[in-house]
Amino acid sequence: MRTRSRQLTLSAAALLLAASPLRAQTAREIVDRVDRLLRGESSEGVVAMEVVTEHWSRTYELRIWSLGTEYSLIRILSPRKEAGTATLKAGNDIWNYLPRVDRTIKLPPSLMGAAWMGSHFTNDDLIKESRIIEDYDIEIGDEGVRDGAAVWDFVLTPKPEAAVVWGRIEERVRQDDLMPLWARYYDDRGELARTMVFDDFRVMGGRLVPARMDVVPADKPGERTTILYRELAFDIELDEAFFSLRRLQSEAR
Amino acid sequence: MREGRWWRIGWRNLGRNRRRSIVTASALAIGYFSVVLMVGLLKGLVAEMVDNGTGIVTGQVQVHADDYLPDKEVYATIGGRDGADVAALVATLEADPDVAAATPRVYGGGLVSTGTATGAALFLGVDPEREPRVSRLMQSLVRGRQPVAGAYEVLIGSELARTLEAEPGDEIVVVAPAIDGSLGNDLFVVAGVFHTGLVDLDRAFALFPLDVLQSLIALPPSRVHEIAARVPDPWLAAEAAARLAAELERGSLPVAAESWMTLRPEMVEYANLSEAMEWVLMVIVFAMAIFGVANTMLMATFERRYEFALLRALGTTPGAVVRSVLYEAVALGAIALAAGAAITLPVLVWWYHAPPSVAWLFGETTLSGALMRPVLRVEYPWLMGVAAAAALFGTAVLAALYPAVRAARVAPADTLSGR
Repeated sequence: MRTRSRQLTLSAAALLLAASPLRAQTAREIVDRVDRLLRGESSEGVVAMEVVTEHWSRTYELRIWSLGTEYSLIRILSPRKEAGTATLKAGNDIWNYLPRVDRTIKLPPSLMGAAWMGSHFTNDDLIKESRIIEDYDIEIGDEGVRDGAAVWDFVLTPKPEAAVVWGRIEERVRQDDLMPLWARYYDDRGELARTMVFDDFRVMGGRLVPARMDVVPADKPGERTTILYRELAFDIELDEAFFSLRRLQSEAR
Repeated sequence: MREGRWWRIGWRNLGRNRRRSIVTASALAIGYFSVVLMVGLLKGLVAEMVDNGTGIVTGQVQVHADDYLPDKEVYATIGGRDGADVAALVATLEADPDVAAATPRVYGGGLVSTGTATGAALFLGVDPEREPRVSRLMQSLVRGRQPVAGAYEVLIGSELARTLEAEPGDEIVVVAPAIDGSLGNDLFVVAGVFHTGLVDLDRAFALFPLDVLQSLIALPPSRVHEIAARVPDPWLAAEAAARLAAELERGSLPVAAESWMTLRPEMVEYANLSEAMEWVLMVIVFAMAIFGVANTMLMATFERRYEFALLRALGTTPGAVVRSVLYEAVALGAIALAAGAAITLPVLVWWYHAPPSVAWLFGETTLSGALMRPVLRVEYPWLMGVAAAAALFGTAVLAALYPAVRAARVAPADTLSGR
């Protein structure tokens, strides 16, 4: 009897030992997968961005191209006043093209945290510089059935040397199809800064993706930015030459 | 004996050892001179801080929508969405007896770019005609010329100009989020470059004609964020602000009128601290002088102990002896004050009109966020001039008190018989 119980304890310990690295590995993989979900190796899409603030609300239609993490191009299709305005990220440089004055301006890195087109996204959000798994330590905070779906709750804490905006990120991912449900972003004082909610999961460009994203700032009740994917294609033929200043300034592709 | 006699005796006693009297009076005179001059310098420092802290851009009184501060939201214009009769507001402010001039202002923020170089900046929209009557910002122009109302021209700070490598005549792109959510952007010509010496202003400020900035950020002409006013005597600003607040309350606009004392409390704190220092300084200087004078008076009365003994033997009351010594001290004080004032006043007047430059020692610096030029400026310390005079007499009398009491206690028989 005694031997048996000892065996049990041993195997439980062995299981725990074996499970920890495996779980950490899985957590990293899942979060990385979610991070790359809407990006792919290359992508092209049309989205509607609805910005609601206390003082005004506007809807933009945007066309977005991306290649890896290094290159992306966003062009505003409507409304008319901003149509043609475009943002290009190539390597570490970010450029904005303003059709009204027909000028291209280069953004300094210090403005990466600034709001993009008055939305609740920052320049950094739209033009993600680095992959999330490189900057954050990831662990599973909780798991179980929530609202009828088995989920993981991940906790992302920045690595000591990482230069990141957030103090902590919490993310809930559905277990059966690895779809993100929400992400909460906390500042370095540990206070909730904003919540991102994912919804309307459907197959676009051959992948299951959340076609709707809502960003809700914590300090401004009633305000939000909603992204609705209208068209999305992955792994299309794009090369680095596509992401040029000349392309930035041309009205449309 | 009549009181006047004791006065004369006191006065004459000063002449018995002239050299000693002159040295003692000089100590008091120099004490007076140092206190008044140092307090003048302290006051000069505060005046320089307040002049520059309020004069370069803040103004002495500001009127905003009551919800504008502290967040300074671009939407919080005077009168809200409907705006206000700006000209009437300016006129109301200028009608106040202490207000010399008033001017409307609009604030914004965004990017200025030459294409390759881009910087974030605070935008200040000013009325090019009125602004110079309220603040010295536009007079800080070092290159180029002033922008003209209605023209797409901008004045930028010297540091911003350096970062952008932009000079007068260059074209820059200005991008600013407008209040309707759109992205205001337009081409501007750099009319000029200003340098105030305040890093924050020189690095991050761009000045536009009011109407042009309003149109860039989609504000109608009736919407402004601020009316700034100049009150020539900054210390009257709080009262002026209170009067204006009461006056404006009668209108239907929810506005707040505040003086620089509310807007820049750090400067008031420094001024209070400095005033406390003035009194500490006076106490220290005269406390030092008191022992010097007491020492001299003790010696002088000790030398004269036979006289005091004789006076007492002849029927002089101890009180009269005390008075004679005290009167001597008062006479000494009078001479010291005359001498002190005679050296202090010309030096102060000269210093006030030609403050010496200490640029060789340090450059422009800041105090409580206000620019300080490297000059040793003095202000006339009238109150302290009187207070220090009183302190000088007080010192002389206080220092003489103990020697006087000792003189009165001389035992006549013992002293006269040499015991």
